[in-house]
Amino acid sequence: MGSLRARFAWIALAIAAEVIAAHGQSPVERHVIFQNVGLPAVDEGLIVDETHAPGTREARKRAAMRAALSRQTERPMVRCVPGRVVVKFHDQATDADRQSALAAVSSTATIDPRPSYADFDLVSMDQTADVEAAAAELTRQPAVEYAQASYGGWRTLLVPNDPLYATRQWNLPLINLERAWDLQPQAGSAITVAVLDTGIAYQNATLIENIPAFRDDAGNRYPALGRVTIPYAGATQLMAPGRFVSPFDFIWNNAVPLDYDGHGTHVTGTIGQLTNDGIGTAGVAFNVKIMPVKVIDGVWDFLFGAPNVATDDVVARGIRYAADNGANIINMSIGRTGPPNSSAVIEGAIQYAVSKGVFFAIASGNEFEEGNPLEVIAEIASRVDGAVAVAAVDRNRAHAYYSNTGSYVELSAPGGSERGFGRDGFVFQQTFDFNFTDTFLLPPTQYAAPRFDVHAYIGYIGTSMATPHVAGVAAMMMQQGIKSPAAIEAVLKDTAVDLGAPGRDDTFGFGLVDARAALRGQGPAR
Amino acid sequence: MTRHLVAAVAIVVGAASAASAQPTDNRRIATRSAEDEGIAFRPFVMGTEQTFAATHTFEAVFGRSHEPFFGGGLQVVKSRYFAEVVASRFRKTGERAVRVNNETFRLGLPLTAEITPFDVIGGYRFDLRPNQVIVPYAGAGIGTYAYKEFSPSSDPDENIDTRHSGFVLMGGVEFRLHRWVRLGVDEQYTRVPGILGLAGLSKAAAEDNLGGIAFRFKVVVGR
Repeated sequence: MGSLRARFAWIALAIAAEVIAAHGQSPVERHVIFQNVGLPAVDEGLIVDETHAPGTREARKRAAMRAALSRQTERPMVRCVPGRVVVKFHDQATDADRQSALAAVSSTATIDPRPSYADFDLVSMDQTADVEAAAAELTRQPAVEYAQASYGGWRTLLVPNDPLYATRQWNLPLINLERAWDLQPQAGSAITVAVLDTGIAYQNATLIENIPAFRDDAGNRYPALGRVTIPYAGATQLMAPGRFVSPFDFIWNNAVPLDYDGHGTHVTGTIGQLTNDGIGTAGVAFNVKIMPVKVIDGVWDFLFGAPNVATDDVVARGIRYAADNGANIINMSIGRTGPPNSSAVIEGAIQYAVSKGVFFAIASGNEFEEGNPLEVIAEIASRVDGAVAVAAVDRNRAHAYYSNTGSYVELSAPGGSERGFGRDGFVFQQTFDFNFTDTFLLPPTQYAAPRFDVHAYIGYIGTSMATPHVAGVAAMMMQQGIKSPAAIEAVLKDTAVDLGAPGRDDTFGFGLVDARAALRGQGPAR
Repeated sequence: MTRHLVAAVAIVVGAASAASAQPTDNRRIATRSAEDEGIAFRPFVMGTEQTFAATHTFEAVFGRSHEPFFGGGLQVVKSRYFAEVVASRFRKTGERAVRVNNETFRLGLPLTAEITPFDVIGGYRFDLRPNQVIVPYAGAGIGTYAYKEFSPSSDPDENIDTRHSGFVLMGGVEFRLHRWVRLGVDEQYTRVPGILGLAGLSKAAAEDNLGGIAFRFKVVVGR
């Protein structure tokens, strides 16, 4: 009966929200968020049968859906954005110098108004222009510091599945975390970790969306759902008073970076899930402040009509935003593949943030079995003191089958693996029950609007899951007094448990993060 | 450190020169006087300000690289020669730290270090005249140094309780304050390898000497 009342209350609220929307919004508005309007999440507890792992049918379907949708919209998910080049002019370059540089490349090139949190400009040119060639030509101009295409292909580096500290969270003891908490019971309370990801389920809300028809990767037509009211609830095990600071969404250009995917929420749980409250799972630095910065779009962002997709310039702005708004640590369980040195704009943003005292943990990629391509952003991390590229190990400290290897791998952390461990091999945190969110995976006849208010403890696998372990430990180190990003990196490497070949190797880097050793420091002789 | 040693040698040599620049008769008398004396046993108490050779290591933990030692010993004087055994102790609680790229970060985690030197030194006293008020002396010896390092955050096997040997060079002057009381002021250089430099902050700082330069005050009782 109580549940029924709750449903009625929710329906009434939704109707009210719809009325408000009808009166308060333009009829053409597709995406409306009523913040803090909505019921709390439905907590389903542990769900061991839902998993997110690289290469699963669901994972492949999501990727295929994302690609199929991109072909149907004016916001293609392409290797790089047509007609757009990211350009950093020298500071002393005059307007005439800039125009001269553009003229050398294209007669139609113009400099767009500079976006926020950018030290670079976006140059628009003919949509048919070869933007990589144009960038190369621009780089040769004396007024230009660097130029690059606006690369897309950004994606999260997850791999999900199943729950609860004593029974499910093998990953936290694996990095010697319990004894690190003994050293620092406050667990990072003075530190802010920015999570650059798909957003975070950090508050309750009610969404009004106008969902269009689309075709999936197999050509099946999914009907338009029209204007729908969608419940949204924050993850109860993340929300605490004062927890979230300076949220921003670079996909939607607003300050409400809600997660419509689940990845960002899961990653955030590993960094700072509420702990010692007798509920669910634990997080590494469970008292940190969290800065949600959304730079990655998901299927629902597409269908809801988001104006931006994840490109280098979008992510670079997210990095600069985090650095300018007080982040101490940036977690990037995201990345893209490509040739080395193909993202000067990201490298510049990372260098900028590190110069402001920000430490980075960056995923090293999940494509080991797909040719082990270079992970561009992780490779940058390996060249920056204060940023580390994180590989994944399974619960036996062995190389996780999907984790990229290469000279850029610097550290390892638990990313999980189902091979040999089944459901016991996943990294569990609270996030959406994707049976309620990923309705686009159902046949068209069963397709319905999503709901983002049903949460459970779901297992994921990936270097995305390994990375927040490092970010959490780094937050605790910074709170303990190691303020320099470069020093944090050096200590993490120096105290890591060596795995694989003696010394640094391309599979594990310097080894598995040891939270206690990193936090404990040294005495004169030991 | 070289500056300290030069200063110590200069004090000894200078004081010795001053003491020896006396009329021949006096020297003869003094020589005779010393030969006439038997063995003197002279206990003393001592306070030391030691500047550690492992400067960065101890600055990281204690915030400074010079610390006081307190102790005492027994000096045996025969003619112009002396031997002394001396024990002292230093104990202080600081913080665990990390040192990266010449930058130190103190972590707020307590760490206590305890050093207990036990030295045996032999030397020569420039005691050339009867009733000489200022007596220079110099000596050298060996010592054994007990070192303990422990933290509440450490497991028992992570603490250190070890002992290593080193050598000592020292020189200074003794002031006769009273027939039975003397004040000794000297500088002592010790080198104690084998404890630092193998791990921890001292390895990061490439410092392997637990010793250093000590400025010692001794109150000696005896003739």
